[in-house]
Amino acid sequence: MASAPSKLYADDVSLLMVLLDTNPFFWSSSSLPFSKFLSHVLTFLNSILLLNQLNQIVVLLRATIQAGGFVIKDEQLIKEGSGEGIPSSLLSGSLSMALCYIQRVFRSGPLHPQPRILCLQGSSDGPEQYVAIMNAIFSAQRSMVPIDSCYMGSNNSAFLQQASYITGGVYLKPQQPNGLLQYLTTVFATDLHSRAFLQLPKSAGVDFRASCFCHKKTIDTGYICSVCLSIFCKHHKKCSTCGSVFGQAQSESSTTNRKRKASDT
Amino acid sequence: MPQVRIIAKNFMDMVASLPEMKLDKLYENAFICEAILRSLPPLAKKYVLQMLCVEVPVNSKSMEEWVLPDGVSKHKVAIDRLVQLRIFTETNKKKGDGPNYTLNPIFQTNLKKLLVYGVVLPREPMPSSITVRLPSSEELEAFALEQWECFLLQLINSSQTERPLNISSSMMKTFQRGLLSQRDREAPRLTESGFQFLLMDTNAQLWYIIREYITSSEERGIDSADLISFLLELSFHVTGQAYNVNTLTEVQKNIVKDFTDLGLVKLQQGRKESWFIPTNLATNLSVSLTDSSSRKQGFVVVETNFRLYAYSSSKLHCEILRLFARVEYQLPNLIVGAITKESLYGAFDNCITAEQIISFLQQNAHPRVAERVPSVPENVTDQIRLWETDLNRVEMIPAYYYDEFPSRDLFDGASDHARSYNALLWESPDDLKKMRLVVRAENHVHMRDYLSRQK
Repeated sequence: MASAPSKLYADDVSLLMVLLDTNPFFWSSSSLPFSKFLSHVLTFLNSILLLNQLNQIVVLLRATIQAGGFVIKDEQLIKEGSGEGIPSSLLSGSLSMALCYIQRVFRSGPLHPQPRILCLQGSSDGPEQYVAIMNAIFSAQRSMVPIDSCYMGSNNSAFLQQASYITGGVYLKPQQPNGLLQYLTTVFATDLHSRAFLQLPKSAGVDFRASCFCHKKTIDTGYICSVCLSIFCKHHKKCSTCGSVFGQAQSESSTTNRKRKASDT
Repeated sequence: MPQVRIIAKNFMDMVASLPEMKLDKLYENAFICEAILRSLPPLAKKYVLQMLCVEVPVNSKSMEEWVLPDGVSKHKVAIDRLVQLRIFTETNKKKGDGPNYTLNPIFQTNLKKLLVYGVVLPREPMPSSITVRLPSSEELEAFALEQWECFLLQLINSSQTERPLNISSSMMKTFQRGLLSQRDREAPRLTESGFQFLLMDTNAQLWYIIREYITSSEERGIDSADLISFLLELSFHVTGQAYNVNTLTEVQKNIVKDFTDLGLVKLQQGRKESWFIPTNLATNLSVSLTDSSSRKQGFVVVETNFRLYAYSSSKLHCEILRLFARVEYQLPNLIVGAITKESLYGAFDNCITAEQIISFLQQNAHPRVAERVPSVPENVTDQIRLWETDLNRVEMIPAYYYDEFPSRDLFDGASDHARSYNALLWESPDDLKKMRLVVRAENHVHMRDYLSRQK
């Protein structure tokens, strides 16, 4: 008889890392006021704590860009941002912070709650964070931490779709933001143990497009360094990441082997 | 087969078996709602949360669409539990459609309040200016453990207590009921369930005692629903904080005194006021409804040469080890013993099974050996099992032997009759001319009746 490991934790004890987007540019223009959004979220957090005495919650707030020179930058951004609209929030930073915390929990001992990350995001993706975010996603995948995302904005967020798809989390864009609490309790309150038995929303289509490393733009097709797999939107003489020297770009008709869809990577 | 089985985890069954009226009354207390919600299986918790804001009845068919094919059995368990605890009420409008479920309205409003306003305790912790010096969490834990062991010692061995508790002897009797059996003019002996009880972990033991306490409460004129709600309320207090005794009712004050003896709370007397401090035993109560979430560190090391080292100074541990091992000597922090055939036979005589002993050794393995797989050497566990099966080689059943049946029909009828009582032990094979039967002794009366009727 194998000695049964004593079960100190029930199956459904969870550690929920909530990444809350407090981007003022988004919330000032959102149909759901921030105060209402917050009360939905607080009720949801209360319900998580209600479910199990050992459940833990960590809430990370993230605003736009870095804190320094916040106001001045904002004004500039508002003036500049006529075409693009809302500036993005720092998703990569908060994701890394959450993962660091989770690593600490993992190392605290053999018994720890099951961690998962929930991104509550409103503002659109910032292509300039592409590399950092992808790194965070892959490290989450490595440590088996699912990233759930609830996107409140108007269009879908490619980053969050990819994050949830790669880590096995749930991506959801509520159709009716006023009923946010019901979405949260129905979908995102599900602990990892119960996910094996419940029907959860499946991702319909994931936007796999990458951002180029040189201009941080989201691109459909581009150039890839054959050594380090860096992505560029146009031909360079030298790879800016690893320093490999590229050959002469050939004419458009015969470049099929170098020019690839970035989504294949 | 053992008739009495101690099932430590069925507190919720006890709650579920309460009559409708009492259950609805219980749900008026928000703490009970919370504790009961936490005790549910994960899927059931999820359903409650999902239904929290739904006012209209939901059909069971549409609920089944929530789960994947893998989860159907878990789904059924969850729904059954919810209906059993009257959290879901069934309303059936049309036939053939399956029942519709709604959330119990009292339960629903209470949970909603909890979610929106958070948990509000009926009493505030006292400011530190009044309470002189509160015990540290280690001191409190030590107090709880010591109190609990003292109680256990008194429970199993009433004569051997250094410090008498103020639990009345009648109360002690109710606790001992089922655990001890007293024959005339003999010292009380532990029954089989008593031994099982000692080998359980603290939380399971605590729940057993609490359950006895609750079931005997009616005799003392306390409403069991009141007692349960106070108990669960207590489990939501903060460990180590002081709460004023004057906020309690008279009945609750008495209950708190009893709980002090069990180590659930610590009472302290200040200059003017007195207060009680919940220990982790109390606050773990609502967690451990479904599983034992807090456990002490193990202390036992078993070597391949059948020697047993227990790093413990507790008298109780020594008593428990004595149940199945020969204790050789005791140092201040160490009990040394050996598992021998004789000591194990003693245990088997008292109806302790090999599995119980092994699981006790495994569960209480010292952290140094607990990491190893297996934590108890295999040759020891195998030998314990072998010695047990040695005893079971021959089983004796008192029986009656029937012979010389006048006809084959009567013989067949008689053997069928015996079979219907599940009492047939042996019958002679069909090809033999002689017709003989062996039937359990306790069914002799039935057989005699049957045979005389046939004549």
